[in-house]
Amino acid sequence: MTTTAVPRPDGRPRLLRAELLKVASTRMWVGLLIGAVLYVALQVVSLYFATLTANTGGGPTVPTLRTAEGVRNLFAGAGGAYLFALVVGILGMTQEFRFQTITGAFLAVPRRGRIVAAKMGAYALVGAAYALVGLVVGYLLAVILLAFTDHAPIGLATLGQIAGGAVLGAALYAVLGVAVGTLVRNQIAALLGALVWVLLVEALLVAFLPAVGRWLPGGALSAVLQSTGLGNATYLPVWGGALLLLGYALVLAGAAAATTLRRDVS
Amino acid sequence: MTQGLPLAVDGLTKQFGPVRAVDDLSFTVAPGKVTGFLGPNGAGKTTTLRCLLGLVAPTAGTTRIGDRDYRDLPRPLHTVGAALEATGFHPGRSAREHLRVLALSGGIALERVDQVLAQVGLSQAAERRTGGFSLGMRQRLQLAAAMLGDPGVLLLDEPANGLDPEGIAWLRGFLRHLAGQGRTVLVSSHVLAEVEQTVQDVVIIAGGRLVRACPLAELRGSAGGVVVRTPDPEALRAALPPESVRAQDDGTLLVSGLEPHAVGHAAFVAGVELHELRAATTELEDVFLELTRAPATGAVA
Ligand SMILES: Nc1ncnc2c1ncn2[C@@H]1O[C@H](COP(=O)(O)OP(=O)(O)OP(=O)(O)O)[C@@H](O)[C@H]1O
Ligand SMILES: [Mg+2]
Repeated sequence: MTTTAVPRPDGRPRLLRAELLKVASTRMWVGLLIGAVLYVALQVVSLYFATLTANTGGGPTVPTLRTAEGVRNLFAGAGGAYLFALVVGILGMTQEFRFQTITGAFLAVPRRGRIVAAKMGAYALVGAAYALVGLVVGYLLAVILLAFTDHAPIGLATLGQIAGGAVLGAALYAVLGVAVGTLVRNQIAALLGALVWVLLVEALLVAFLPAVGRWLPGGALSAVLQSTGLGNATYLPVWGGALLLLGYALVLAGAAAATTLRRDVS
Repeated sequence: MTQGLPLAVDGLTKQFGPVRAVDDLSFTVAPGKVTGFLGPNGAGKTTTLRCLLGLVAPTAGTTRIGDRDYRDLPRPLHTVGAALEATGFHPGRSAREHLRVLALSGGIALERVDQVLAQVGLSQAAERRTGGFSLGMRQRLQLAAAMLGDPGVLLLDEPANGLDPEGIAWLRGFLRHLAGQGRTVLVSSHVLAEVEQTVQDVVIIAGGRLVRACPLAELRGSAGGVVVRTPDPEALRAALPPESVRAQDDGTLLVSGLEPHAVGHAAFVAGVELHELRAATTELEDVFLELTRAPATGAVA
């Protein structure tokens, strides 16, 4: 084969750029971003009214907005974009199989694992971006709501901590979504499976069997988010949770590489 | 352009559950020519092409692009361009963005995108989402994608499907032009007539097995010939080379190995009266049907 004059661009950034262009060139990301923003807004507003009306009946005591903890919980609601990050990761991968664009991707890059790796990188960025937009909207909303309320002050450091956890958690959940989508190529199955797991099975396990729950992806996410004040002492440290989440993504992707990723594309 | 490379399929077998889609298939494809890859529906053409492209793992046997497996090509899109049947577009992505994604993935300069769009006549539709594309437009976009890396090898799966007559005529010229540049061009079809005017070589398969791999001219030799009707068959036989004349059921004679003008001349010189004289062109398709029918029914039995 003759070599042409065109220099060969380095593989990694080129594939990452291709994956980011895939995201940018369809509208899927917009719809999910709107969903994430609405969800965050709803969460902040409902947290606000929950703290206002709390402690009037006989239920468990909720920290009021006169305490630092109560104010922190309110702002922590702004970090709720992670679920949408998971979904965008799943859709990003499974739609390649659904629309058979995976054929073109594998023709361009026959080493299939590199496509998955690049997509994980791209969706980590997408997940982080979702979290950032959610944080901006959620913080603004919280500030506006607090303007009408007698409340304790909140430090910039705390806001930064919340934001850090939310961005890291969403990025890792998006990576996990890509891994799930590689293993379960059917879009509906992957999406339903992941949502049932996260919202039902795991939520219950984390709540009622914390000793087990802390080792699950949801427990790991809670560990990452614990700077938000939503966590509690049974979780791993932040770095431990982040590593565990990444580990889950890599194990799933590894399982996919050994099974579904090798399958015939036809 | 990278140079055309020979293709080699060797002992290829692919089993899909109970279906043996390709069965111990071997053939080679030479650069600098258009090769027709022919067979009836379900013959295994698409499966063979997908094996060549590393998309489907063979049950047995090997496929080679030049001397490598597709997966080992250092710059696959610069080496091989493929247009496969079955869509492969995100309906919400524009034609241009579709090609830009592929160009980025394959390490191809983005300027190529508008060039290939113009080449296949899709410049006007570049901004449109592919979800609204007609079948013919999809085929053109597939072809544009195949041309992106200016590859020396082109594998095209039924590229004429959905093209209008003008598009088909254009495609024929285009493929000949590409082969003339020294590229390897393999075009699949289930109709011989469709590629008859374009291909120099044919690889015919049926039921996953090789039926015939030869120059088209050779197939014509066993097919074509000249149909003649005369009141004096014996006189005409005497005027033509021995063994070249065969009597047919309908009372005509089939003369093989000669062109119509040569037969007419021979008859004129010998003073034999002719009532009909024509090239037996339709026979080629009949030979194709005959060739592909036998093994298929044999496989079922
Ligand atoms: N992924 C698959 N799973 C199961 N069977 C398959 C698969 N792909 C192809 N086959 C079967 O293999 C055989 C060959 O199919 P293939 O698509 O290669 O034929 P083809 O020559 O391209 O036909 P056509 O002219 O209709 O495109 C068919 O019987 C088909 O049903
Ligand atoms: Mg086919």
